[in-house]
Amino acid sequence: MATVEIGLLVASTVTLGAPLILAALGGLTSERAGVMNIALEGTMLASSCTVAIIGLKSQNPWIALSAGIAVSVCLMMLHAVLTQAFSIDQIISGMAINALSIGGTGLLSKALLNDTDLARSPFLSVTLYWWAAVVAVGWLAFYLKRTKGGLHLLAVGNDPDKSRQMGLEPVKVRYLALMATGLLCGVAGALIVSNSGNFSENMTAGRGYIALAALIIGGWRPIPTLVACLVFGLIQASQLHFQGTQLAGANVPPEFWNALPYLVTLIALAGLLGKSRAPAGLGKP
Amino acid sequence: MNGLSWKHIALVLGAFAVVVLAIQTTGVAPATAAKSLLEGSMGGPAAWRQTLREMTPLVMAGLAVFIALRAGLFNIGADGQLVMGSITAAVVAQSIPGVGGVILGSLAAMLAGALWAFPAGWIKAYRGGHEVISTIMLNNVAGFLTTWMVAGPLRDVKQQSPTTRLLPPGSSLPNLIDSPPFKVSTALLFGVVGVVCLAFWLKKTVAGYELSATGANPIAAETAGVNVKAVTLKAMMASGALAGLAGAFIVLAFEHRFYANFSSGYGFDALGVALLSGGSPLGLVPAAFLFAVISSGTSALQLTGVPKGLSGILLGILIIVFASIKYRRSKLGDS
Repeated sequence: MATVEIGLLVASTVTLGAPLILAALGGLTSERAGVMNIALEGTMLASSCTVAIIGLKSQNPWIALSAGIAVSVCLMMLHAVLTQAFSIDQIISGMAINALSIGGTGLLSKALLNDTDLARSPFLSVTLYWWAAVVAVGWLAFYLKRTKGGLHLLAVGNDPDKSRQMGLEPVKVRYLALMATGLLCGVAGALIVSNSGNFSENMTAGRGYIALAALIIGGWRPIPTLVACLVFGLIQASQLHFQGTQLAGANVPPEFWNALPYLVTLIALAGLLGKSRAPAGLGKP
Repeated sequence: MNGLSWKHIALVLGAFAVVVLAIQTTGVAPATAAKSLLEGSMGGPAAWRQTLREMTPLVMAGLAVFIALRAGLFNIGADGQLVMGSITAAVVAQSIPGVGGVILGSLAAMLAGALWAFPAGWIKAYRGGHEVISTIMLNNVAGFLTTWMVAGPLRDVKQQSPTTRLLPPGSSLPNLIDSPPFKVSTALLFGVVGVVCLAFWLKKTVAGYELSATGANPIAAETAGVNVKAVTLKAMMASGALAGLAGAFIVLAFEHRFYANFSSGYGFDALGVALLSGGSPLGLVPAAFLFAVISSGTSALQLTGVPKGLSGILLGILIIVFASIKYRRSKLGDS
């Protein structure tokens, strides 16, 4: 393989991996605090749509990014209110938020954007988002291990009852953790729409679930999760690069590469890649 | 109902405001939209036909999710199990013509659905991996697998978009009623019969009782001598079989073929129907009807300029409001 090709492969691995990293870290803050979060997908999508619409109306990419983050944080606060104040099951709440978001973005993008508008939203440079992803991983790895707030978060996720006895307030910690989830998913959604240059319906296309998969394979820890996201990014990138070429004499269909992250996660869940280390208090009230 | 408070009133008001606001952004008056939604789902023969058609697979798919929920499992994987059932039914009914193909196709679809649910059940029972995560993964794999099959080995080359060949006319489920305004497939009857059988099975049989006991409190059930792991695996596979059957119904009664991106979110609808049943199997029928009304109603609303996305908003809000009142977490699993 020529050096140029390797360079291209690395570039597209980073491009495809960065939104996964941001979303997976969002999942990490939520799940380490004990809140199951299958709503990463919908939360990112809502941000993508908002960034496109507000970008078009304001012509200011920073205002658009802030609006995307704000909407994403609102959805995660909804998840927090429903699961903590209303005690709705975390899975049901996550499913409902995904439905709201897919329906809502479908409705708003049709009502407020038309095809000629779509390309006229300004976007921030994607390299800015790459740096955001790198900083987020480093900071989160440090925060969880080395600060009081991080240790409180882990304690709440491991055993909410015991942490309550120790004088912590699990509900308050979870609200803050989900706020961070909203922030990270908002940035991830903004990156996805910036990458493609315009919004299209359901454009996150399962990335929220791949991020969730990376989080599980990474054992709910920042650095291994980063690695898993980059591997998944590489899988997607190689699928684009090697389309049509043969591997070991056979034509590998693109669907196989697309399904690979999910298959690997199933194998990991089956415990064939070592013991799973889910936060002990995941899903507990 | 006790436990209701100002919180719930605020939630309902907020939910109502969101729906009204969403409709308002499209430039259609909310009252007009509500009227066309009802007319589009129940205002005339064509509307009724569409609503009953939408309802048919939802009863069976809702039943699938319901039985898993009774055992304490969230089968988010109904979607994947359903498409695996659909494609299997299409293949079998294609190769065996006539009634035999319909029957064998339905059975094969149940088998396919059960097998697709097996990894999730096994991982949950014997490996402790969360069934929600494994079924999400299986849904995506099923989507890519069927897309590949229908674009490659099973493709009807004469068609422009990836689809299997149309089934011969004799290879479909007959209609139970076919006189205007009603057109009802026998598949709907099977669904309703399935609901009644399940209600009976849960109440009157040991296996049904063990299933409910496992869902209500697995530790207590284990202590009482129930093999919780085996019940978990069996419940997940039974759920997959029923979801597969729902998929067979769609192919054999309505679509007569399988095509790429077959599922329009059946898995989510099935979960919604199971939740809205309120913990009783007989509640599945009205719940499926409500979902069908929203689905066919919002399809009709598109003509007045309200995008189809409204159905996602309505269903999401419906589930949130209902769950906040009925399914507070402490209550899940019992009824």
